[in-house]
Amino acid sequence: MSVFVIGYYAALICASCLAAYFNYRKVFMMVFSLTLISFVLGIIGGVPALRNVTIAAGMLALAAGVSYAFREFLIQIAKPDLAKELRTAPLTASFGMFVVFTYAIAGIFAPWIAPYGEAEVITSAFAPADRDMLLGADQLGRDVFSRLIYGARNTVGIALVATILAFIMGALAGLLAAVKGGWFDQVMGRFADVIMSIPSLIFALLMLSILGPKIWVIVIVVAIIYAPRVFRLTRAVAGNIVVMDYIEAAKLRGEGDWYLIRREILPNSTAPLIAEFGLEFCFVFLLIAGLSFLGLGIQPPTADWGSMVRENATLISFGDITPLIPAAAIALLTVSVNFVVDWMLFRSSGLKEQ
Amino acid sequence: MGDLLRLVLKRLGYGLLTLLVVSILIFFAVEMLPGDVAEQILGQGATPETVARLREQLGLNQPAVVRYLQWLGGAVQGDFGISATSGDPVMDVIGTRFVNTLFLAAYAAVIAVPVAIILGIIVALLRNTIFDRVANVLTLTSISSPEFFLGYILILFLAVKANMFPAIANLSSGMDLGELLYRTFLPALTLVLVVTAHMMRMTRAAIIALLSSPYIEMARLKGVPPWKVIVRHALPNAWAPIINVVALNLAYLITGVVLVEVVFVYPGIGQALVDAVSKRDFPVVQACSLIFAATFILLNLAADVGAILTNPRLRHPK
Repeated sequence: MSVFVIGYYAALICASCLAAYFNYRKVFMMVFSLTLISFVLGIIGGVPALRNVTIAAGMLALAAGVSYAFREFLIQIAKPDLAKELRTAPLTASFGMFVVFTYAIAGIFAPWIAPYGEAEVITSAFAPADRDMLLGADQLGRDVFSRLIYGARNTVGIALVATILAFIMGALAGLLAAVKGGWFDQVMGRFADVIMSIPSLIFALLMLSILGPKIWVIVIVVAIIYAPRVFRLTRAVAGNIVVMDYIEAAKLRGEGDWYLIRREILPNSTAPLIAEFGLEFCFVFLLIAGLSFLGLGIQPPTADWGSMVRENATLISFGDITPLIPAAAIALLTVSVNFVVDWMLFRSSGLKEQ
Repeated sequence: MGDLLRLVLKRLGYGLLTLLVVSILIFFAVEMLPGDVAEQILGQGATPETVARLREQLGLNQPAVVRYLQWLGGAVQGDFGISATSGDPVMDVIGTRFVNTLFLAAYAAVIAVPVAIILGIIVALLRNTIFDRVANVLTLTSISSPEFFLGYILILFLAVKANMFPAIANLSSGMDLGELLYRTFLPALTLVLVVTAHMMRMTRAAIIALLSSPYIEMARLKGVPPWKVIVRHALPNAWAPIINVVALNLAYLITGVVLVEVVFVYPGIGQALVDAVSKRDFPVVQACSLIFAATFILLNLAADVGAILTNPRLRHPK
């Protein structure tokens, strides 16, 4: 029994007692179940396991603190009605917003933040980390940290462009199909069925094998693959709106299709569409990262997270975590966007699950 | 019963039609290539004679429609033509690999399906407690991570650090089942993690939607014990969404398998597809795409038919 172990259990038990005393039931349940799990972990894994638990708990607490502070910050700078909405955001959602914010900063200011250029060879291959290179060098002697920062610009940028393109195509087709109906609706619906009946990764691989891995090809192919999903959702949302009386009234006034879409339907369907945009971005981002990982996405020497994982993958068999860092960057962004979307869906549906 | 049969047959016919359209898309996508396929494959240094020979070999001198019908006719009988790079029949290249992929997917499914459904039901019953919140965050994380991230984490911890399982799934003929299961454990586990998370979330949503319906509340109000509410009242209606969830996730497994096979160098059809794409070996790409798409459509079909069979309401569309 070292001092660390005694302190560890004492802290946990004190925390659970305090939580129980002040009637924080959820906190109590969490802390106390952690205590019980720690008994088992301590017996199996010994002190190192407990130390890992402490580190993990510390990081969680840090993340929670950052999210809490960031939410307060957003509430302070937002307009009153937006601030009211933000107050209802759970910590996971504000953590998501914080991460998205950080990535945006990294992507926009990449040339100023990164110490070296993205394709700049500065040292020998796989050089270990030192004071100038935070994360060491990759297989050609380029700085991994700089490439990571530039990757935020390249990978996320391309995914964003593809998502916006998919969204414009899908949403426009969906709105038109809902307003016009008839054969246009039918044809677009069947077309979407066909595209969606091919697995997305397979379809992308097929098209890239034919057209070659160029950036504009990737953007267009990915946009075409995901537009049908947007189409379906927009069609469903708009379909519920076009049967409303105020649409009928607008039609009787003699308004055209374009007016109906812009002034009547869109304002009433923004909430689900924004949430869908977030989800769609995650799918697109994961698909593009997967393609890059397979060597068929963004081509070197452009820094890109998917291909960085692939290029440094051999390091993993020596127990080095360098290839995991860009993969973790991908996962962190998708998780964060999902957290924000989760909150928005919950809010827009207005349904509080009982 | 005649009604039911007609409905299922109609759905099957629709599935076949979709498959036909998809096969047309896959075949004619290659036709979109600017210039000549044979020249594209051989590159710029090719002599006219070799180009002519390859054109002959690929049957490029016939019109596209004839070639499509021949290709489709062969594909139905398991003959996908000849690989453009190696010269072997495509079926020799991908035949055993397809079996390997099916094995891996089945291995993952056998573990994931029961675990996910049981956990999903538990989480639905404990909804809005702290366990539900933690499970929500964990499953969301697992879904959002790219498959290769999960795969490399498992390699790092279970293969490199703990040295419990092999990091690379190289199979050889003559391995017994235990050895096979041991060697393919990590790729299967990666798939299990992703698919379980998906399935859990969908099961949870389905069960919660069910439990909030009025007839369940009625059963509760008249004093039926909780386990009986679940087993007698909720479960019969829950089968339809659960079957749907399982089939949809098996379809998802089909695409997830490509990335996982590459991470673990598993000799499956996904790896073959990726290799063929980088070598621009179109007959193999087309064959793999068709096989993947057919499996995907088949599983979606199974989801719909399962829903029709277990949910009488779908038999009488309004």
